[in-house]
Amino acid sequence: MIVNIDKEICTGCRRCASVCPVDAIEGKQGEAQSINEDKCIICGQCVQICSAYSSEFEEETTPIDIKLKERGMLETVKEPLFAAYNVCDVEKVKNSLSNDKLYTVVQCAPAVRVALAEDFGLDLGSLTDKKLAAVLRRMGFDRVYDTNFSADLTIMEEGSELIKRVSENSNLPMFTSCCPAWVKFMEQEYPELLNHLSSCKSPQQMAGAIFKTYGADIDNVDAKDIFSVSVMPCTCKKFECDRDEMNSSGYKDVDVVITTRELGYLIKDMGIDFKYIEEETFDNPLGDYTGAGTLFGTTGGVMEAAIRTGYELITKESIPNIDINSVRGQNGVTKSSIDVGDIKLNVAVVSGLENVRPILEDIKNNKSDLHFIEVMTCPEGCISGGGQPKVILDKYKKMAYDNRKESLYTHDGECGVRKSHENNSIKKLYDEFLGEPLGEKSHHLLHTEYASRKEKC
Amino acid sequence: MKESFNTFVIADPNKCIGCKACEVACSSVHNEENNIGYTVGTMTTPVIPRLYLVKNEKFCAPIQCRHCEDAPCANACPNKAIKQEGDIIYIDENCIGCKTCLMACPIGAIELLPHYKNEEKVIQLGLEEEKLIAYKCDLCKGKETKACIEACPQNALRLVDIKEDKKNKNIKAALGLMNL
Repeated sequence: MIVNIDKEICTGCRRCASVCPVDAIEGKQGEAQSINEDKCIICGQCVQICSAYSSEFEEETTPIDIKLKERGMLETVKEPLFAAYNVCDVEKVKNSLSNDKLYTVVQCAPAVRVALAEDFGLDLGSLTDKKLAAVLRRMGFDRVYDTNFSADLTIMEEGSELIKRVSENSNLPMFTSCCPAWVKFMEQEYPELLNHLSSCKSPQQMAGAIFKTYGADIDNVDAKDIFSVSVMPCTCKKFECDRDEMNSSGYKDVDVVITTRELGYLIKDMGIDFKYIEEETFDNPLGDYTGAGTLFGTTGGVMEAAIRTGYELITKESIPNIDINSVRGQNGVTKSSIDVGDIKLNVAVVSGLENVRPILEDIKNNKSDLHFIEVMTCPEGCISGGGQPKVILDKYKKMAYDNRKESLYTHDGECGVRKSHENNSIKKLYDEFLGEPLGEKSHHLLHTEYASRKEKC
Repeated sequence: MKESFNTFVIADPNKCIGCKACEVACSSVHNEENNIGYTVGTMTTPVIPRLYLVKNEKFCAPIQCRHCEDAPCANACPNKAIKQEGDIIYIDENCIGCKTCLMACPIGAIELLPHYKNEEKVIQLGLEEEKLIAYKCDLCKGKETKACIEACPQNALRLVDIKEDKKNKNIKAALGLMNL
């Protein structure tokens, strides 16, 4: 299990159950809870809300150092331990970095750079993209790449897929497939609608597959020697990288995933001064990104990025307004209609997984007029993910999410290039390696299939 | 006589779910000198709450200082480290960890725990041992809000105005008479 509840610490308050979108948390009020693994989608919202901590001063409970070990955490971690937690994979990263035979490559999701600094005492939502790049390089990674790059790549593939489906009027509406918790939910609860999911892998997995193929070629290293690490705001990304089919490079595409919080532990453990480190940039070409790629970190971001590119690919004209405020959602459902040339695209942005059920029921009953739907499991998309810095006081949560979101939009605005299809490194990747979106190579490396898990539930 | 009694925070055990959010909130707002920020990653010293969740099979509720009018802790403190300011009783920096207040307190609202400054344990000069001091609820002295009340997701905590409380009960009792 990736997400667990420590029975010794749990007081049975069931606040975790109140935020679980799939009712996976079982147990009586006042008694220790457990997680039903078949229902759980590993979103980690329980980890975010849990406030039942283990007191270092209570002698009858298991000592903290033993608990740290049980959770895979480093012994240098000083923060309090709460009942709901995710397993920690930093040890694997530490080992890979000290292994000279490995060529270590790291990617970093967009939501990480607007939250990591909080665990070092900086303001909520501080944007630290360049510090992040510097810190990863200082840790010893051979290549400091970026998930934002493959977010741009996702837009190329997913945008093309949407255009194809709309022109063929098949399997509509199409759902995004970037959020692994949402994908797991579909496989568990609505397998009959799996053909509505985009066949695109998530940016994390696209990046992993590219790093060990094209990336290996350009760096002239053997793919088998590449150790691919991913830093994510999400606990379910750990599950995603372990899926059987995620080895299209011939090796495990992403070897290990750590969360934003776990990266914080590692930086502190290595004694790197994050606050004052001199800024650097991500490596090229696979760390080159546009503002559109950055937007993936918040709800509505994939939609906005897709529209920026889709509009221009369909109409062959420049989009009149690059900021598409109508799709910038919040927790809930945001619906809008977008004119793309002669086509009126009905789109919806869903955040907070429980909000998607009515839409799925409509599709089942042939009552949906939507074409494209973005779904993110967490309340405001990845910025409020289960692996993000955990806000101590509930009263600051809104501010944290608002500031993280604002930072992403600021970052988008500051990017010289703000449309995925204008990313020169992406163009080069297609010219030199992939050929074209939805082509044979793309199909093999960047797309996947889904299977029902319903019998288990 | 004083114009008003000391106020204090009290929990409703029928509402409390035992989440300990009050304890975590309490500890975080009292640790400014330990560089605590907004997120758990900045909590590099152990949680030192000033109210304590008491839980058994039948009930749970946090227990904290009642700010007694004739405060046994203050009466007992040999170092005069327990002070009254406005309607709050608090422990100041003169505490020597002698535990007298712990023994005097009728409800167990005081705890003796290590003193942390700048994220490090303070060491006692004479013995080169960690310095222990007494901690208790100071009603978030100097702050406008009470962290525990604000953090409780169930609204199980409230600040008691005992005179108002008595008046309301009297009114209820009087209304009850009408049904006789």
